[in-house]
Amino acid sequence: MTDESKNVVDMDGMRVDDDHLLSMYVDGELDAERTIALAGRLKVEPALRARLTAMENSDRLVKQLYASHSDSADRDLTALIQAKNVAIFSAVSRWREWATGAVAASVMAVATLSLMNEQPVAFNPMTMDESLAQALEQSPSRAAGWEHLDGERDFRSVLTFPAADGRWCREFLLAHNESHWRGVACRDEGTWVNQVVGSEVFLEQETQYRPAGAGDTEKVARFIDETAADVALGPQQESALIASGW
Amino acid sequence: MASLTAQQRQDLIDELPRLKRFCLSLTSDPSDADDLLQVTVERLLEKGMPEDAHVAKWSHRVCRNLWIDEIRSRDVRSRYAQSEGAIEGAGTTAENSDESVQLDRVSAALERLPAEQRAALVKVAVEGCSYAEAAAILEVPIGTIMSRVARARKALTEDLEWKAEREA
Repeated sequence: MTDESKNVVDMDGMRVDDDHLLSMYVDGELDAERTIALAGRLKVEPALRARLTAMENSDRLVKQLYASHSDSADRDLTALIQAKNVAIFSAVSRWREWATGAVAASVMAVATLSLMNEQPVAFNPMTMDESLAQALEQSPSRAAGWEHLDGERDFRSVLTFPAADGRWCREFLLAHNESHWRGVACRDEGTWVNQVVGSEVFLEQETQYRPAGAGDTEKVARFIDETAADVALGPQQESALIASGW
Repeated sequence: MASLTAQQRQDLIDELPRLKRFCLSLTSDPSDADDLLQVTVERLLEKGMPEDAHVAKWSHRVCRNLWIDEIRSRDVRSRYAQSEGAIEGAGTTAENSDESVQLDRVSAALERLPAEQRAALVKVAVEGCSYAEAAAILEVPIGTIMSRVARARKALTEDLEWKAEREA
């Protein structure tokens, strides 16, 4: 490496060393004149060539590492962004806990979102539509079996419990094609609003299910733990509550 | 600025993969990155953004600010202990293979980089952004991106070479 080779400036007129030059070369950010000059040096300077190879190798590993972390689909986040009439409950677990301490139940229903897009969108389990709201309003909880909501979805209410803020909430299961969801909705001044929904994978036996991932089930369980003011209602209590119009 | 427009929602969905990698570049921890992405999306949905906002720039700024808030609030020692354990196991699918060892090395070397260098490197080397595009997203001058990427590469290659020599 000669003094002359170090005396190179970048596009802003700053002096840069060989590492900067090589880095810009890798990124295609060198102008034609400097690219030709560097290519000439690479042919006759093995150390410089080895440095470039090392950089390209580390780039390849970084790309590979990040690719392995980017494969998982952010299905829930996409659904959340597309959702209408969904209350944002900060269900993020330990990250939020570290930042702010335990998540208080009062955090729920921070904001009700309205969807600006009037165009039809793909089925979204986070969306509280009329059929789902009607089922939550009238269907008793059950341990097995499904209620057909419309042509596409099956619904099962699991339990009903009182929230600490006085609202009534229901845990429910929803099935649509190959997708299955578990969630909690609360009745807010006569309107059912989804609070948290997680994906599920059901076993073939209709009465059993297991979680797709601990994270999703954990979100729902955490919400219930933090929100419920009392144990779930028994069948007779729930039946009376439904009959009284909540 | 109460809600996102339909176009902003779609742009945000399209931006999710890049935003996810940005989260990982900031946190160096896959679990933290997932949480940071979730919190970022929630914040964007809750607070909205101006109608004329550039969704990529805005979402990256919100993400970065949330992470700054987070690291300020954390106990440094516990954060280090958590991320050390997570990153050591990241990206390895075949134990004892050369590729796995190399990925472990680069993962650990990346973690030792300053976050701003890591973020610049990921934008350019992983996302394929030009220096101008990365500068616009990260809201720093182009020369700063050039410098951060070069210093990141230099540190990474030296770290990897040193480790390889040490373990040979």
